[in-house]
Amino acid sequence: MATEVSVVVPAESNTLRSEEERLRGMLAERHGIHIRFASLPGARAILVSPMTGRRPKGLVVDGSVSAAERISLYVHLAAHVALRHDLPLVTIVESRSEPTSGDANGHSDADQLARAMWWGTAARAELREAWPGRRSRALRPLLASRPGRLGLRVALLVLRRAYYGLRARRVLEGSALTRWLRDALCVTAVVCAAPELVSTRS
Amino acid sequence: MRLQDRERVSKAIRTLKGDRSLDSLVDRIYEITEGSVALDRATLQRVATGQTRVTRAIDSPEDCVRLYFALMIIGCEEELTLSEIVGEGRTMLAGFVGEPLATLVFADLRRTLPKLTDVRTLREYLEEGLRVWLPK
Repeated sequence: MATEVSVVVPAESNTLRSEEERLRGMLAERHGIHIRFASLPGARAILVSPMTGRRPKGLVVDGSVSAAERISLYVHLAAHVALRHDLPLVTIVESRSEPTSGDANGHSDADQLARAMWWGTAARAELREAWPGRRSRALRPLLASRPGRLGLRVALLVLRRAYYGLRARRVLEGSALTRWLRDALCVTAVVCAAPELVSTRS
Repeated sequence: MRLQDRERVSKAIRTLKGDRSLDSLVDRIYEITEGSVALDRATLQRVATGQTRVTRAIDSPEDCVRLYFALMIIGCEEELTLSEIVGEGRTMLAGFVGEPLATLVFADLRRTLPKLTDVRTLREYLEEGLRVWLPK
């Protein structure tokens, strides 16, 4: 899951941070994954599974990983769990170097399922319930190519700046348009951080 | 528990403790394991000097696994090399619980090690590994 974002973003958006926090809570509640942050120079994340399923799993995430990338990690790890890769005493390491980290832990399968979970196209109902899939599928073809992703990201960031700069917030706060734009900004940032979430194969 | 190779376990513990005194080692093990491995000073002294095969306060395989993680975390703190930490940790565990269980527990680290490219990342893996073995 290599990051390809080259757009300069001044700070993490609150939309992304609150979405990351919501998904972190969901991982704890639905999948029994306890998350903490630490400095991991050699990896992006480590998921440690206990001897028995009655205990929570431990996920350590590198503190330098951005909110968008953390969101993509969470959906990828939820896919690992759905595929039952989280066997007792088996640790899943999300490396920095390889886009899909090899196949020692079934990362390619997890990537494929993560795409379906992210876009809400998973065939099995329990998978759709296990992960609240993104429904804004109009974005998917736009995000399929690198120029499309970067162009849309820049356009959305410009819109965001205009929204706050022109004080449009007073009029548009809480509107469907604002919600859609926030969601689009979040989806675009996450897909820019993890391009493997868009693919024409699934 | 009864140690299977007291001389080798003694050497492993002395390597993993680095420059620490045995007193400080007992305190650190207690802290790291959140009091779940209450190894008394006299027993650790005898184990570390190869004078006994019987370890009071280490009554179960779970205690041994917690001690294995704790000693390797201490090895990281003492800035030992990755291979020293892993090699001596495995030896210590095998000495306590026997080769079959040690192989089972160690198999995850063996598989994971190529991706844990530095001691800092290894330490986080060990801390999380210990956490899932702590009593509820």
